[in-house]
Amino acid sequence: MDRRRFLLVSALAATAACGGERPGRSTGSSAVPLTRTDSPGALPLHDDIPQIADGLSPESGGVLKILNYPEYVSPDVLKAFGKTHGVEVEVTTFNTMEDAISKLRTPGASFDVWFPTPDVIGKAAVGKLLQPLNKTYLGNLANAWPQLQSPFYDEGSRYSVPYCAYTSGVGYRADEVTAGFGYGLLWDPAYKGKAYLIDDHREGLALAMLKNGSREINTEDPAKIRQAGTWLSELVPLMNIKTGIAAYQLVAEGQATVHHCWSGDMINAQSYLPKGVDADVLGYWYPSDDLGVVGTDSLAVPASATKPVLAHLLLNHLLDPAVAQENFSFTGYQPALSAITPEKMVTDEFVTEALKSAIVTPDVYARSRQIFQISPAAEAVWLDTWSRFKAGQ
Amino acid sequence: MWALFAAPGTLWLVLLFAVPFYAVAAVAFGYTDPVFNAPVPEWDPRYWDFTAFSEILTRSVAGDLRPVFLRTLLYVALALGLCVAIGYPVAYYVSRHAGRHRALLLGLILAPWWVNYLTRMLAWLNLLQDDGYVNDLLLFTRIVDEPVRWLSGNPVTVVLALVYGYIPFFIVPLFSTLDRIDPLLLEAARDLGCSGRGAFWHVTLPLSRPGLLTASAITALPMFGDYYTNTLVSGSPTTTMIANQIEFYLLGGTRKELGASLVLLLSALLMMLMVYYLISNRRAEEEMS
Repeated sequence: MDRRRFLLVSALAATAACGGERPGRSTGSSAVPLTRTDSPGALPLHDDIPQIADGLSPESGGVLKILNYPEYVSPDVLKAFGKTHGVEVEVTTFNTMEDAISKLRTPGASFDVWFPTPDVIGKAAVGKLLQPLNKTYLGNLANAWPQLQSPFYDEGSRYSVPYCAYTSGVGYRADEVTAGFGYGLLWDPAYKGKAYLIDDHREGLALAMLKNGSREINTEDPAKIRQAGTWLSELVPLMNIKTGIAAYQLVAEGQATVHHCWSGDMINAQSYLPKGVDADVLGYWYPSDDLGVVGTDSLAVPASATKPVLAHLLLNHLLDPAVAQENFSFTGYQPALSAITPEKMVTDEFVTEALKSAIVTPDVYARSRQIFQISPAAEAVWLDTWSRFKAGQ
Repeated sequence: MWALFAAPGTLWLVLLFAVPFYAVAAVAFGYTDPVFNAPVPEWDPRYWDFTAFSEILTRSVAGDLRPVFLRTLLYVALALGLCVAIGYPVAYYVSRHAGRHRALLLGLILAPWWVNYLTRMLAWLNLLQDDGYVNDLLLFTRIVDEPVRWLSGNPVTVVLALVYGYIPFFIVPLFSTLDRIDPLLLEAARDLGCSGRGAFWHVTLPLSRPGLLTASAITALPMFGDYYTNTLVSGSPTTTMIANQIEFYLLGGTRKELGASLVLLLSALLMMLMVYYLISNRRAEEEMS
C-alpha cells in the first residue's frame, strides 16, 4: 500500500470513531440463547402471550393466512384443508428468513401459520412473534422423528413442530460423472464451468470446511472462517465456480454437471427433466460419515394469528403421514416423519434408486452436523468472508 | 405564479428521491436490533454511526471491493463503448436516411422491448447454452472449433447482455438530437467545401454531442445499478459487479447497513459522473450557441 493510500485509508477508518452512541445498540453478542444439539434449550414463555385453551372449536369463515417460502406447501393440500373448515387459505411468500421476520414485525400484519427455520425460532420466541403451542391439538406430533418431537432448538416443542428435512450434498449428472464421488467433485477441473455452489454463506463455507476435514461448521473463530474462505476461493480460478439455488433445474437441464445442493433439489429435478430424458441421469451424493450437513424446517403459529385454533389443526394436518406424503409429492422436500423411509419412497416411485440417498433418515440426521445460530459478531465474519468469495477474491 | 408549476416536480423529487435516499442513509448509519439482527434506521443524524460506511469505504479504496468497483467501471465503459459503436450509426441512419420508414424502423428497434425483459433474457440463456443455436451456428460456420462457454462466468457475455438490455435507451435520445440538426447547416458546410465526412466531423458530431452525453448518462446510470443481468448470464464471482454486492448485502444476511453504505457510495460516484455530464452538456450548448 503506498503512502497516499495508507493516509486515505487511515482517515477513512478514523471516521468510524465519529457519531453519537445511542443506548441499547447491539454489542455483537447474541440476545437469544444459542442452543446446540449437546446443549438444548427451552425457549422463554411470556405471560402476555398465552397458549390457546384446550378443546376450542376451530374458527371458520374468512381467510387463514400462511407465511411461507414460494412453492413450499402443496396448494391442493391447503385447498382441501380450507374446504373442510370453511375458510379460504391465502399464502404470502418470502425469500429469506429476514424477509419473513420483517413481514411478521410489520405493525398490523397478522399471519396464522409460519414456516420458520430452526435458527430463527429462538429469535422469534424471544421477540414475542410466536405463540406457544397447545399440544392437545397436535396428536400427530408423535409421527415425527423421535429427536424432533422435542428438538434441541425448541425443547419441549413449545413453539414449533417439524416440517421437512434435507441434507446438503452434491447433485450430479450420472451420465457424466462416474467416479470420484465426494465433495471433491466440486474441485474437479473436469467439470470446470459447470459446477455450482449453494448461494448461502453458511452452506458454502461449511462445504469448504467439511471438504477439508474440519467439522467446526459453527465456529466463531475468525481465522477458521477466513481459512474456509481461502479454501473456497480456490474454486474461482480452478472451476470458474458459480453460485445459485436452482440445482433442480440446472442439473436436470444439463447446465450444471455438479451442484452443491439440498437433497430436495434432486428429488425435484425429476420434474424438470427435458422431454425424453430419463430420471436415471440424476444422482445425489451425501457422505456416509459425519462430514455432512443436515437441516430441518418447522411450522409455528405467530402471536398475531387471528385463527390460532385452525392454525394448530393445520400443523397437525401436515404431520399426518398421508397428507405429508401428498405434500412431499409437490414440494420435493421430505417430511420429517417416521413413516417416510428411503425404501418406501423408491417402492412408491417418488424417487429412483439412484436418488435413494436423497431421502433423509433419523440415523442420517443423528450422525450429521447442523448449521446453528451463531452470535451476530461471528455471523458478520461469515457473511463478509462469503462476500469476499463472491467478489472473486 | 410560474414557480407553482414546479411544485408537482418538487414534490415528486422529495417523495420519491429525497425521502428514500434519507431512509437508505438512516439504515447505513443506523444500528442493529439485538434480538432479530435486523437493521434499525437511525433517523436522528446526531446518533449516526459511521462504522459501516467507513468499512465499506476502506474496502472500496484498498480492500476486496476495489477490484469489484474497477470491474464495474470497465464493464460499463465497454458496454457504453459498444452502445456508441452500434447505436450511433443506427440513430444517424434513422434520422438522416430512413425517410418515410423512420417511424417503422424506430418501432422495429423498440420491438424486442415489447416482450418482458426476463422472458427475453431466458430466451437468450437457451440460445447461448453450450449446445445452443448460437454455438451451433459458430461451429457450423467454423468460426470456432469448440463451443464457446457463454454462460460460464464469461465477461464478454455480461458486457454484451448489458448492451442488449440498454441500447434502446441510447438510440432513442440520440435519434432525437440528430433529428433536430438543421439540414441547412450541413448544406452550408458542403457549400463551404466540406466533404461528406468533413461535414459529419465538423457539424453533425459536435451538434450531436449533447444527445450523445444524454444517451450515455441514461444508459450508463442504470448499468451501474443492474445486478440481475449479471446474475442471469453469469452468476460467477469472476464477473461480480458492485450492484451484485449491494444485492448480496441488502437481500440476504444480517448486514444490511453495509449494503446501504454501498448504495450511498455508488450514488456519490454516479453523482460525480452526473456533475461531469451537466458541465459537459452546458459547455456543448455554449459552443453551439
